[in-house]
Amino acid sequence: MDNELSSLVVIFTEFYYWVTVVFMFLIHVGFCMYEVGASRYKSHMHTLMKNTMVIPLVSVTFFFFGWWIYFAFVNGPWIIGPLVEAPFATPWSELMGTHMGGAPVQASLTADDTAFWARINGVFWAAFLLFSWTAASIVSGAVIERIRPSAFWILAVLIGSFCWIIDAAWGWSWNGWMVQKLGYHDAYASGVIHAIAGGFALGVLIILGPRIGKFRSDGTARNINPHNPWLVTIGLFLIYTGFWGFYVACNIPIIDIYGPLVLDVADKTYFSATNIYLQPTTLSAITLNFIMSLSGGLMAAYLISDGDSFWTYSGGLAGIIGASSGNDLYFPIQAMLIGAGGAIVAYKMHYWVERKFKIDDAVGAVAVHGYAGFYGVVICGFMLWGYPSSPFEGYAPITPWGNFAGAIIMFFVLGFFPALIAAKILNSMGMLRIPREVEMVGLDINHESLRAMEAEEVAEAIRAEAG
Amino acid sequence: MNTGLVDNWLNVDTFGPIYPFVGTEVLMAVVGIAFWIGWHIMQIKKENTEFKQDVENIKAKGGLGKVLDDEVNREMGDSIGR
Repeated sequence: MDNELSSLVVIFTEFYYWVTVVFMFLIHVGFCMYEVGASRYKSHMHTLMKNTMVIPLVSVTFFFFGWWIYFAFVNGPWIIGPLVEAPFATPWSELMGTHMGGAPVQASLTADDTAFWARINGVFWAAFLLFSWTAASIVSGAVIERIRPSAFWILAVLIGSFCWIIDAAWGWSWNGWMVQKLGYHDAYASGVIHAIAGGFALGVLIILGPRIGKFRSDGTARNINPHNPWLVTIGLFLIYTGFWGFYVACNIPIIDIYGPLVLDVADKTYFSATNIYLQPTTLSAITLNFIMSLSGGLMAAYLISDGDSFWTYSGGLAGIIGASSGNDLYFPIQAMLIGAGGAIVAYKMHYWVERKFKIDDAVGAVAVHGYAGFYGVVICGFMLWGYPSSPFEGYAPITPWGNFAGAIIMFFVLGFFPALIAAKILNSMGMLRIPREVEMVGLDINHESLRAMEAEEVAEAIRAEAG
Repeated sequence: MNTGLVDNWLNVDTFGPIYPFVGTEVLMAVVGIAFWIGWHIMQIKKENTEFKQDVENIKAKGGLGKVLDDEVNREMGDSIGR
């Protein structure tokens, strides 16, 4: 921080990530509105609190171990190498506290560590944390009205502070083993957030079972309608707004591509925004592609759902998710058409899986995030075939098979199977599902009774005052 | 196989377009416009079918007067948010 220009770059970067965190808060406002609207009135307050408590629980566990995992697990560990030291990311690191970048007190840190991380660690941690909340909130919607909040919160920590951050270490970092060996490319997290969370939700749903009344005796599904469809769609609209912050947070705002952190070429300078893999892109390009993939998704979903508000809005999201893997590089019309494909995949697969396997996904989360995310990763492997996956030497190029393998790892290996195992353990202990009687009358039964008694008491007091 | 003009990032300072399938922009524009216009055509057809069904449903339920009366009764009994 000893010259104005480099200080400006550092503080701009710090401020940039801070702004994205504020925007991404809107994703969680949106998720709360969306789930509350989707539930029946008799359970809506518990639904709200179930999603709300994701925030503190994932935050503290991400502080305790999630952040460290991102840096320590890039090699697997023990897939291509050992655990990597990350003394700036442990919960006892001096760099997790207010730090001016001077000489470290702790022996595990170097002067380079403190100079680099002092002003970036907190905001970078927070940007990743908001992704962690998103992973857990995606699962939250699918399981409404019958999961025990305590079980959900254990699962939320598992996906939010463990499974997704492992996938990020592997496939969403500049040196993750999936990038090095598979050429895995997933710039805006179709796989690393959406496919893994959708796969995780599916694993939970298989063990959790459907809501009472969802399926008829002949196996066909009934529609359990949202108690407030307007709130659901406005919630989704807020998620779109917050998603802007997500996209921007996925980039590095400004870095010298020829500087020591990237290509390290003497006598050359080229400042650019990059994606997380340190490949150049521009904010302008992702702005176009975000809007075009949203538009393709909305248009396709409107047609195939006959203008259903829930599926149209969900399809817009599936459109963005379907194109996210390669939205750093696609031409906008490619993004639009790929987005349209994502919406169609989500809608068709949701109902096919519901019919065939009797899966009750209350909000289509597995479809919009899981199937559209999987599709997005696979399509990217074809669209960006042959591109270098990294500016660094020796990394595999992007290929359809590399990205397909990546999609399988995200959806199944790190999403579906850990969820299936965890849900099975919770279920075997009687901890997964709420009592049948409570589900039938609604989770808010005591809350509603208390409100009714309190209202009556106030009314009587007013009548007494009136004489 | 390479869908783009980029096979390494070493000369990024000389790069122009880096999206896949450079040279197909006009074709993509034609496909995109066809998608847009096709959307309007399909949507208008679906809307015609929907309105025709709506009018038939009104007749089947006893005509306009009856349906309007039912609507008023429903709105009076409806509580918002429940």
